Amino acid sequence: MLSRVLYYILIFALQVLLFNHLDLSAFLVPQVFIILLITLPLQTKKIYQVLIAFGLGILADFFVSTPGIHTSACLSLVMMRMAILNTQDLKEEIANKLSYTARNVGVLPFSYTVLILVFFYHLYVFWIGSIGAINMYNLLVTTFISSVFSLTVIAIFQFLSLSHSRE
Amino acid sequence: MQRLLAFIEHNFHFILFVILQIICGFLIFGLNPYQQAVFSHSAASVTARSNQLSSDLTSYMDLKEQNILLQSQVREQFKNAPNTSFRFLRDTIDVKDSSRRPLFEAIPAQVIYNTTYKANNIFVINKGTDVGIRKNMGVVSSEGVAGIVLRSNANYSVAMSLLNTDMKIIPNINDQEFFTELVWDNTNPNTMKIMSINKLEKVKVGDLVYTGRSSLLFPPGIPIGTIAKLETKPNSQYFDTYITTATQFRKLTYVYVILNNDESLITPLMPDAE
Repeated sequence: MLSRVLYYILIFALQVLLFNHLDLSAFLVPQVFIILLITLPLQTKKIYQVLIAFGLGILADFFVSTPGIHTSACLSLVMMRMAILNTQDLKEEIANKLSYTARNVGVLPFSYTVLILVFFYHLYVFWIGSIGAINMYNLLVTTFISSVFSLTVIAIFQFLSLSHSRE
Repeated sequence: MQRLLAFIEHNFHFILFVILQIICGFLIFGLNPYQQAVFSHSAASVTARSNQLSSDLTSYMDLKEQNILLQSQVREQFKNAPNTSFRFLRDTIDVKDSSRRPLFEAIPAQVIYNTTYKANNIFVINKGTDVGIRKNMGVVSSEGVAGIVLRSNANYSVAMSLLNTDMKIIPNINDQEFFTELVWDNTNPNTMKIMSINKLEKVKVGDLVYTGRSSLLFPPGIPIGTIAKLETKPNSQYFDTYITTATQFRKLTYVYVILNNDESLITPLMPDAE
């Protein structure tokens, strides 16, 4: 339990202190912290998932001064996650109270879910952020670059996790 | 009920999601300056359209209240300044009333039941003895004569429609009273007939027919109708005169019951009362 809390704090701290201040490109605004929502324990009740998403979104908004944008995106992400997970056979993992990670559910289904959710989240946040003056090119390029970056970071975390479990 | 509760329980996370998304909407468009500006701009045009729509809708919905308001205004106008009231009520102020109050007053009412297809038609109004309506009071619409009150209880009154074979009214044409009767012959709900107008009389199609001074039920000058046809009978000295009624009985909705303030003072003086 403690390790999970530390893991949450570590990921969120990385997001707030590092990824929010990369300044490498105007098109690079990665949202890595969403891995916390994607990897929520599978037995977590839906209502708690919604509340956790709301709380995490509020926190994310607080650090980038975008009230409501990340919160709304987190809520939508968690609902979409529920829909995707419904299509996967996870009875055993749920019974064992496992988290939704590559190690627990397999690399392929995990990659499929993460790919969709990461792209969705970035597109959602950048779309809401630029509402009223949407530049399709900027929106798609930012979404693509930021998503690829986030996916890379998430893949590294998952790889480290897999390696750690094999040891 | 149980199924509803079960449905809510099963989908509570979704309901919560919707509620929280609404809160997010408020946060996004209320606290983010750029989104707020975009929202305000969009909302202004939407609001303008919805206000227009709402205004159109409520003005239509409000017609009933507006009608009632107009009725009360007409009543007050009739009571306080008969000179500027309805044209057909103009003569009212000619009455030399010592107390300088109008001889006639109008009590607004709404028709709640009305027939036009029978031989003896009636209509029911939503006012009764509680507001002073009694038997034998005249009833007019905003267009002209509508009928005479037959009976009343506290809240409702039944009136004999002009479209009633028992109804007989003395017509006044070109400021001349014709002591023949205006009757309904049970043929057309907009047509009445005056029997036996002498061919020597100066009447023509299009002349207006009003109430005269031979009745205490109606003020003089209230329209009854317009002459539509003058039918000449062979070997007869008289016209059969057809009148198109001023009141559209099939659309009769709002009426005024005519209250003669001095009826109790005048009637005992009549020769019939002796």
